This record gives sequence, structure tokens and C-alpha cells, in this order.
Amino acid sequence: MKYILAKSAAEALEALLAEEGKARIIAGGSDVMVDMEAGKLAPQTLVDITTADDMKGIRIQDDQLIIGAAVTLTEIARSPLIRQYFPSLCKGAGSVGSLQIRNSATLVGNVVTAQPAADAAMAVAPLDPRFVVLSKDGIRELAMGEMYAGFGKSTLNSTAEVVKEIHIPLPADDEKASFVRLELRKSLSLPMLNVAAMAKVTDGFFQWVRITMGPVGVGPTRAFEAEEWLKGKALTPENMAEAGRLALHNAKPRSNPLRGSKKYREHALPILVRRALEGIAKQMGLLHFDN
Amino acid sequence: MEKLNMTINGKAISVDVDPGIRLVDFLRDNLFLTGTKIGCGKGECGACTVIMNGKAVTSCIIPVMRAQGAVIETIEGLGKNGKLHPIQEEFINKGAIQCGFCTPGMIMSSKALLDENNAPTSDEVREALGGNICRCTGYVKIEEAVMAAADRMRKGE
Repeated sequence: MKYILAKSAAEALEALLAEEGKARIIAGGSDVMVDMEAGKLAPQTLVDITTADDMKGIRIQDDQLIIGAAVTLTEIARSPLIRQYFPSLCKGAGSVGSLQIRNSATLVGNVVTAQPAADAAMAVAPLDPRFVVLSKDGIRELAMGEMYAGFGKSTLNSTAEVVKEIHIPLPADDEKASFVRLELRKSLSLPMLNVAAMAKVTDGFFQWVRITMGPVGVGPTRAFEAEEWLKGKALTPENMAEAGRLALHNAKPRSNPLRGSKKYREHALPILVRRALEGIAKQMGLLHFDN
Repeated sequence: MEKLNMTINGKAISVDVDPGIRLVDFLRDNLFLTGTKIGCGKGECGACTVIMNGKAVTSCIIPVMRAQGAVIETIEGLGKNGKLHPIQEEFINKGAIQCGFCTPGMIMSSKALLDENNAPTSDEVREALGGNICRCTGYVKIEEAVMAAADRMRKGE
């Protein structure tokens, strides 16, 4: 096997294309290495992007927060810049696996592996991120909804495409985001359910809301019906609870030995959606209790 | 074979390695540093934890070539001049060990924490050790050992 430590995103793409499908990208390695060990993956060449200088770092450019594809979950969880704008993303990134895994694993990897219970992917989902992708045809930007092809299946081809970075529009003062999860224990546990939300709130009323839920389908699943219903509604406990009930219309929680029964998860999901919305209300100074 | 240059337990080495192996295999099979254990092989149990460039990582999910130019510390590098590191001594003093299989990983996670923060809170210790699973005993003695070691390290030991 060949192992290439790419110095830039362009070099990583070049290395992939030169191998014509026999090379694949490795970032943190927390999935690729496990899959290789299990015999599910056997690439001839690995192209490591964690050494690419132009894929490192977290920065603001114009009105965008830019997170490089080589940035680890620990770097995100501890970034003062991200904490300032999106504390929920710090929380989601800080919920994945364990500290050792977060010291290696990346946010982009958490999206591209397309696992349904990914906390960091869930936390970034409602923030309207754009994924900057390099391929032989040039550069394109993909939205969150365009990243997932199925359970554990990305729309991207890791043998021919490279995600360079994520662009997230900076929030206005009246736009806040939240992330909540339900788990059996506090570390090294996949979520039984996780929910993230972002909303614009003016004078105590929702202008718009984005709610994403998992693992209840392929990738972070939008609660479109609840989002639509909340538009123009006041941030009252009743409205937030009703939105939680409506969220079930877009979710298909299944029974799972790790995540609980369908019945239990259907009972818990509306509560988590309500808590995510309360998390937003709290940041807006509209709610004064801990949920 | 590829040339790998790295620093292991304070010593710079330059060796030929198979680039397809995991860091943990390289440490155990090539360098015979078998203090680093393989538990689950999936990054989930923490038995293979080593410190890489100051951060605790599970060496079973790290490709060996990522150690190119890196500074790696393993359990074998902790004792100095025949004397155990305060973290090792406190694990013994507090009875924070039963079978001992998880211990090297626990101690490396603790060292990564205490090198960065020698006055951790209980929550910080739990976050740092949350990725290390012990199936014999509980975690109370382990947390006590880390706190006791932190006390000693603050005093300059």
C-alpha cells in the first residue's frame, strides 16, 4: 500500500486522480482505519489530508465562518471563534465518541461517512453549511441535503473528490442555534436521538426555523412540517411542544438494540425537539429555566 | 517500505515501515513497546492510547505514516531513571488497578490531561478518561489517582 501525505487540497486531488479510483481520502481515520481492519475497504493508496495546510484552521472570511476539512472535532469543540457564533456546534462536536477520537476525527469526516447518528454532522446541519468540493471538473459547493445518498453512503466519491472546507454564514444577532441529544451514558455512546435547530426570532416570534433530527432516516432529517407551522408563531412553551409533536410527521424512528424501541423513541423525539427550541429561546433571553 | 522519522519517548528514530499498518502495530511489533495494548481495535476502548504531539489518541485508528515527524509518548517513556512517574505511583497507591490491561491507556490519557492542565476539575478528568474503559473495577479510584498525581505535579514532581 502507498500512503501519501498531501500538502494541499490540490495535491490531494491530483494524487487521487492519478490513481484512477484505487486511492481514497483519509482524514481522521476513525472510520476508514476500522473499515480497513475489518476488510471492508482495501485501498491501494491512502491520501491523507490532515497534512494539507490549506485544509487546516478555523477562520472568518467576509460574512462566513470557514472550517477546513482537516480540522478535528476537538479543535471545533474548543474554538473560541465557533463558541462565539455557534455554541451548539461546539457541543455537537464535543459529543462525538471520546476525547481520543475527537483529537483525530473531523467534522467533514463525520458528514462524509454519512452515519445516521453523527452528532457533529447533526449540529452543523441546521446552520445552512456549504461544502466546498474539488473534483476533476473544478470546484462546486454542496448544501447539507446534497451530501447524503443513503445510510452510511455519501453522494461524494472519496476516490475522486475532495472536500476542502465548510462555509457557514455567520448568524445575525437574532439568529441562534441549538443541539440536544439523548444517550445512555455520557461518553463513548451513540445518541439514541439527537436534534439540532436554528431560528431567527424577532420580538419573541419565530421568523424562520430549521430543525434537523437523527437518527430517524438518512442523514440529518428536516422537520419541515414543524418548521412551516412555527413561522410567525410566538416562542411559547405550548407552541414549542406542538412543534415537537409535528416533527414526528417527518421522522421514522425504528427499533434498535442500541437506541431503544420505536415506541420509546417516538415518545422521546417530540421532547427533544421542544428542548432544542427551548435552547434557542434561552439564548434569546426568552426562557429562564434549565431544561 | 517507506522511511518514517519520528520521536518516540524522547528518542529520534528513522526506520523503514510498511505504510499500510496501524500506529499500534508499529509500536508493538516493530518497536516491541507492548505496554500499549490492543483492546477493541476500533478506537472505542482506549487501551491503545498514546500521546501524539501532546494529544491523547487511540493508536489503533492512526495510520503509521501519520506519525511522520511526530512526537509520540507511550507508557514505556514515563518512568525516569528507574523511578515511576507520579501518575503511575498514584495509580498504585490508590489501588486504581485490577487486571491492568486498561492501565497504560488510562495513564496516557491522564498524562495528556495533566501536561496541559495540572489543576483539573472532576469533570475535566472524566472528559479526559471518558474514552478509556475499565471492565474490572470502577472509575472512582482512577479519578482519585489522577487528582493525587495532579497535586504532586503542581508541587513540581
